[in-house]
Formats: sequence, structure tokens, C-alpha cells
Amino acid sequence: MEEKGRIGIPNALMFYRYFALWRCFFEELGWKVMVSGGLGKKGKIIYFEDSCLPMKLLVTHAMFLKDKVDHLFIPRLVSLHRTYIMCPKFRGAPDIVRLATEGNVSIIDETIDLRIKGNSLLQSFSKIGEKLGASKKESKQAFLKAQQSFSTFQKEWVDRINQLPSRQLFEIDIPTPVPHKISPPMKVALIGHPYNLFDIDINKDIITLIKGLGMEILTSDHLSGEEIDRQISDLSKEIYWSSGREIVGSLLHFLSGGVDGVVFLTSFKCGIDALLQEFIKRRLKVQGGASIPFLTLSFDEHTGREGLTTRLEAFRDVMEARKH
Amino acid sequence: MKVTFPHLGSMHIFCKAIAETAGIPFIVPPETSRRTLTLGVLHSNECICLPFKIILGNFIEALEKGADTIVMVGSGPPCRLGLYDLVQKVILEDLGFHYRWLTIPPHLTWQAIWKNYEETKELKKELSAKNILLFPYGLWMGWRKMMACEALEKLAMKVRSREVKKGETQRRLKRALGWVDEAKTPGTLREAAQRGERLIQEIEQDPSRIPFRVAIVGELYTVMDPHINRGVEQKLGELGVEVTRTSWFSTHILRSLRKNKANRASERIRFFEASKAYLGYDVGAECNISIGETILRSQEGYDGVVHLMPFACMPETTASGILTKVGKDWDIPILTLILDEQEIEGRIQTLLEAFVEMLQWKRKVA
Repeated sequence: MEEKGRIGIPNALMFYRYFALWRCFFEELGWKVMVSGGLGKKGKIIYFEDSCLPMKLLVTHAMFLKDKVDHLFIPRLVSLHRTYIMCPKFRGAPDIVRLATEGNVSIIDETIDLRIKGNSLLQSFSKIGEKLGASKKESKQAFLKAQQSFSTFQKEWVDRINQLPSRQLFEIDIPTPVPHKISPPMKVALIGHPYNLFDIDINKDIITLIKGLGMEILTSDHLSGEEIDRQISDLSKEIYWSSGREIVGSLLHFLSGGVDGVVFLTSFKCGIDALLQEFIKRRLKVQGGASIPFLTLSFDEHTGREGLTTRLEAFRDVMEARKH
Repeated sequence: MKVTFPHLGSMHIFCKAIAETAGIPFIVPPETSRRTLTLGVLHSNECICLPFKIILGNFIEALEKGADTIVMVGSGPPCRLGLYDLVQKVILEDLGFHYRWLTIPPHLTWQAIWKNYEETKELKKELSAKNILLFPYGLWMGWRKMMACEALEKLAMKVRSREVKKGETQRRLKRALGWVDEAKTPGTLREAAQRGERLIQEIEQDPSRIPFRVAIVGELYTVMDPHINRGVEQKLGELGVEVTRTSWFSTHILRSLRKNKANRASERIRFFEASKAYLGYDVGAECNISIGETILRSQEGYDGVVHLMPFACMPETTASGILTKVGKDWDIPILTLILDEQEIEGRIQTLLEAFVEMLQWKRKVA
């Protein structure tokens, strides 16, 4: 098929969960997709606004792509669930990028709000397809194919994390290797927003560090939605952020057993994490403490890899001491 | 039973009036102080917003004084305010306090009413029929007192910028608010309000002075509470600036009661519409209003805007990024003050002085 043009997707925020869906959709419609890649060693973060590190990286990646593509894809993610919402900062993200790029590039900022009755992901993507000049039928076909690819990736995700180097995780063309028969001696649950978990510019490639220490990684992708709902069903008030629910639910799940340690990754200035982190800490204390080692790591642009290694090694020692 | 509630500007006058009139025992938390803030900071996470810390501090101090029932306004998504109660309850429990918690629902839905019923089931046993019968009257009294307070504060904002003796307005405003607070009947309240108004109007003013007009926008808690914003309103006034703000306790009550058609609230709709040029969606809380108000104030010929927000506030962080651009596009000076627990009163004074000097310079050039 003839190439229609280029669409740029910044490697930031929810790209780290929906990359397969987004990428495949545009490629099916005949567009070439450009992702921004990592910052690299010399990469500089652009400080357009004083937000959390993931938001600053969104602007940085968008600025990198703006002259190389025809459209930037930054959906306005309001809600991806019937009842629960995304972080409020996502609502203003396309506007922030538009101001930062000074309107020099076209931005596809379709609002995705699945709380509204009758809205569906398919519908939102049909609208995006329409803007790119695709017919309803073409969009639907592309979306169904994209969704299939997305669910394949979701299924293989935990294997992928443990088998592939972190830089290849998001390369769609690289297939997931067959899992090893012998699993490492220790299992650790890695919890947090997907961008904190997988963006190596945020977490200094913590996944490789953990694997290097001989541990197997589990994430909340491992858990079903029902299990997460079950874990947080008895709270006095419902948590209304999807990501917050996922984090609290999986923390409570893993802290009650099944792994040797739990690591919670958060970005400095993340409002949702700050509040829920305090909640988890206090709840564990009120209920008599957790029996599983629990480590919270907070990242900002000054986080160093060396400090991280020391803390992880110490954490492994704690886990080992408990095991014997 | 002893009821308590958080501080928010002069909101305690409202809450106190309700409890007092209905004959329900209550404890007003000690005035927000350094200790309040220290307690709040000690028992929460560094990146939680400032209002959370102050409210938590208020509750701890009130519980120490013997209160046993906390009344707190609820709020909905997407801001963190809606989950304050979830986290604060656990923190207070961890600190070993025994208390009951009552959330006032922000919107009257069936779910909220049911939850409210569950929460108040026990409380109702302790209330006498007299308390319940007098409650609507208490609400009415509270509302009247609130309106009187707001009228006095609005008047003081005007007078303060022209006062001859610095600090006189603030002293008299405090006295006048005290009279309103002490009034027990509708008659004495009316008298207190009138007496207070006269007291402030009699302040010696310099008619030759043309004050600057500056609007204060931003997150409602930081805008409304002088303890949190370290008296930005008063400081600006004493530098010869006539301050305006649209965030009042009554505005937000009317808003949550969906009385949007009242003229006060329709102003918010205008602000919201104006913000659409920069922001394609309702980010939540006051974000869009802050942006829209800045644009409209610039059109109305205001000299500047002061934007207040707590550190790490989610909606206002988005707003502050966009406001930088708005300021350039509309040629209006904007001073953003990010507030947290640090003792920055001196720094705020310096920043405000520099801001006013810049306004003077701008006026001279024009």
C-alpha cells in the first residue's frame, strides 16, 4: 500500500500500555508511524511546564517529533473505563503540547471518554480514522486488527519483560521468546503507572537492574480486573482513578502473598501516587504491617543509577534473609 | 457529641452559626498556626497538596481539644480533594484517635444520600428533636452570617487600597467580623453587619490615589484562606492595590447546589467559555476558570493577575503552564505563587512589592 504520510507518537505516558493498539491502527490505515525513542545519553528534557517528570517527557518527545511528522498523536484520555477516570493532567496534555510546539504541527487530540453512554473505543478510533480520511469500514477493520495485536501483547507481556532487553520491549516486530523452564529464585512485583515502569528515562532502566540481580518480575498486568476490584472493594470510598485503583489493588494483592518482595515506583510530584502511597502505608500499619518486604522508589530527573543499584541490592538482601 | 470542622477562610463562622443555633455542641479547631501545619506535614506525604495537610492539622488539633465528630465537605473527581476523607480517616486511625466522620455530599445523588443516612444513623440517636427541628434555621442563620462576612471582606478590599494609615482596615475588619460571629439572633446580626460596615467605611481614605486593579485567581483553598496564602490579599491591598476575586464560599456552595443560573455563577460560565481558546476540555477544579478569568480580566482593563496554587496541585499545574502563554498573548502581568509548607512570608512580600513596582512602571510607560 502507498504510504499516506507520517504519524508521530511520543514515547510517553500511556504509550507504554497502548503502543501496540495505537501503532497497529495507524499502520493498518497505511500511515507510517514514527516513535520518538529514548532521550539517549545527551538528551535534554524540555521544561515547558512545572509538572511531573512523565509530563515533561511528553513535551520533550513531542518537540523532537514535531518537524519530522505530518500529525502528532496525543489523544485526550479522559476515561478508559465505564466509571473510572484517568489523571486530570492528561486532559490538558494536548493543549500543553500545542502551546509548546507553537501550533507548528497538527495534533490529533481526539477526546476518549468511555464514561459517556454509547461511547466506545471503536467509535473514538473511527473518528480518528475519519480525520485521516479513512472510511468507517477501513477504520473498523484497522481497529479490530489493532485490538487483536494489543491483546496478544497484553497476554505475553510478563514473559516479554522477563525475556527481552528493555529497549526491545516495545519493538512490535520482535516476537516474544519462549519462556525458560527454570524460573529465577526470587519473584518481585513491580507496581506503578506503566510509564514509570517502562520508560527508561524515568526509571534509569530498573527492569534490567532487577533482572540482573536474579529476580523474576511480576506486574499488575498479571492480575485480572476482578481481582483488583475485589482487593479494594471494602474501602470507605471508591478510588476514582483507573490507575490509582490498579496500583492500590495490586499492591494489596501482592503484599498479601505470592511474591518475595514488592517494589512501588512513583514519580516525584505525581498527585495520585502521593495520596495513595500514604494510604497504603497507613493501612498496612493499622492492620499490623505487611509480612512481605515493600520498597518505594520515587523518581525525578536527578535520580542516579548508582543509588538505585545500592537500594535494590539491599532490598534483595532483606528478601533473602526473610526466605531463609 | 462534639462536632468539629476544618478552617477555610471565614467558613468557621458559618459552621459555628449552624451548630450554635441548632444547639449542637461543637469545637472550633484552634486558629491555623505553624503548629497546625507542622502536624499536617508530619503525618502526610511530601507531594500531597497543602490543603490536605492543613485540614489534617485542624482535625488533629480539634480532636486533641476533645471533639469526637468530624464534619467534612466531600467533593468529586477528578481532583484529589474527593479522596481526602479516605486517606485522612486512615491517618487519624493510625494516630490512635477515636472519632466519627460525616461527609457532606457535594452533589445530591441517591448514592450520596444513602451513605449519608448510614453515617448519621448513630448520630441521630444523640441529637434531640429540638436540634433537628432547629437545624434548617441554623443553616439559614449560617448562610446570612456568611453573606454578611463576605460583604464586609469585599468592602475591605476596596477601602484597603486607599487607606491612609496602613493596617487600619485589617484591624477594623477583624473587629467587624468578630461582631458578626457573636450575633445570636437575626436582629443582632443585621445590626452587627451595619455597624461593621460603618466602621470600615469611616476609615480615613486618600481619594487622590488611583489604585491598581488586580484579580486573584487559582485553587479555591489557597485563594480563600489567608493562613495558607500568607495574607496575599491584605499585603497587596496595603501596597495600594484593589484586589478582586470570584472565589467565595457562597460561590462554591451555590455551584455545588447546581444553582448555576444565579448571576454570580454565570460569571463562571463566562470564564469557562473564555478558557476554551487555550484548553479543549474541562480539566477540573478551578483550572479552566483560572485561565478564563485571566483572559477576561485583561479585556476588562485589569492591571495584573495573581495566580495562587498549592505545590503539586494537579489541575492548577496544567493551568500555570498555559497561563504563561496567556500572559504573553494578552499582555497582562501574571504572578504565580506556589504555596507549600515552607515559611515564605518574607519572600511573598518581596515578590508582591516587585510585582506592584512593575505595575507602576507599566502604567508610567503607557
